[in-house]
Amino acid sequence: MSALIGLFLKLSAFSALAFGGINALLPALYELSVTQEHWLSTQTFADFFAIAQAAPGPNLMTVTLIGWHVSGVIGAVVASIAICWPSSIMVYFLQNYISNMRNLKKQKMIQFAASALAVGLVLGSAWGISSQINQNLQAYALTLATIIVVLFTRWHPLYFIGIGGALGVLGLI
Amino acid sequence: MLGICQIVPGPNIVNLAVCVGSKFAGVRGALGAVLGLMLGPSAIVILLGMLYEYYSYLPAVQGMLRGISAVGIGLIAGTGLKMMRNEFIYPPMLLVVAFTVIAAGYFHLGLGLVVLIALPMTLYLAWLKVGKL
Repeated sequence: MSALIGLFLKLSAFSALAFGGINALLPALYELSVTQEHWLSTQTFADFFAIAQAAPGPNLMTVTLIGWHVSGVIGAVVASIAICWPSSIMVYFLQNYISNMRNLKKQKMIQFAASALAVGLVLGSAWGISSQINQNLQAYALTLATIIVVLFTRWHPLYFIGIGGALGVLGLI
Repeated sequence: MLGICQIVPGPNIVNLAVCVGSKFAGVRGALGAVLGLMLGPSAIVILLGMLYEYYSYLPAVQGMLRGISAVGIGLIAGTGLKMMRNEFIYPPMLLVVAFTVIAAGYFHLGLGLVVLIALPMTLYLAWLKVGKL
């Protein structure tokens, strides 16, 4: 029960800080679930991340899986609600406030400021979590290759996932 | 509307569901949209989690997940870099990006601390760029 309460409170705090969405949160999720609470091993965390990437639906499914691992279906529900409710309440009230703003300059300023913060957090997150998840040089090479292809093409993410999975099954990663 | 959902913290897609749902039916619409978004994928992912418990000992499954997670990180980083266009229009803003990346990625500073330090920086630079209010 106390694990559930801790999970709920920590994830609720993350929700209100996650500029850039779940992708910006990965190191914080790792820190909480692997380093601090020992709910999962590094390997399981990496595997849950992979499952959530490959599965259909929002990327917050990593959080759902962590909750499920901690306390079954109830844990999954608690974790999913925790990661959503603070930001949902915020956006519910802010949407009208921001879109009705008379001062367009102010509106632009807030958007510009938040987007820079989001970009930085997402990139920092990718960097931070890669050292936990990528176990060898081949994995880093695959990450790097993915970045390059993403930058220069418009491939659907599923192609990347398919190729990555296939390379892994062949024992190359 | 998408813009507003991206600047508020939290899961972007859920934020979008709140915006769209509440346009149609207020709080109930928002709740319905979020539930509709989450229920199916949650069931699938829990099912996959159960399969994982049974089959994660197989080298092929382990390899597949290693490949997918390496690609997943690349997807996140690549998308992040693509989002950087606006910052290049006003290069001083790259300072905020660089600070955040190094603080979070290299020094592993906590999320709250990084946001706390970077928020005044980014607001100040955005204010300089957009001009006096």
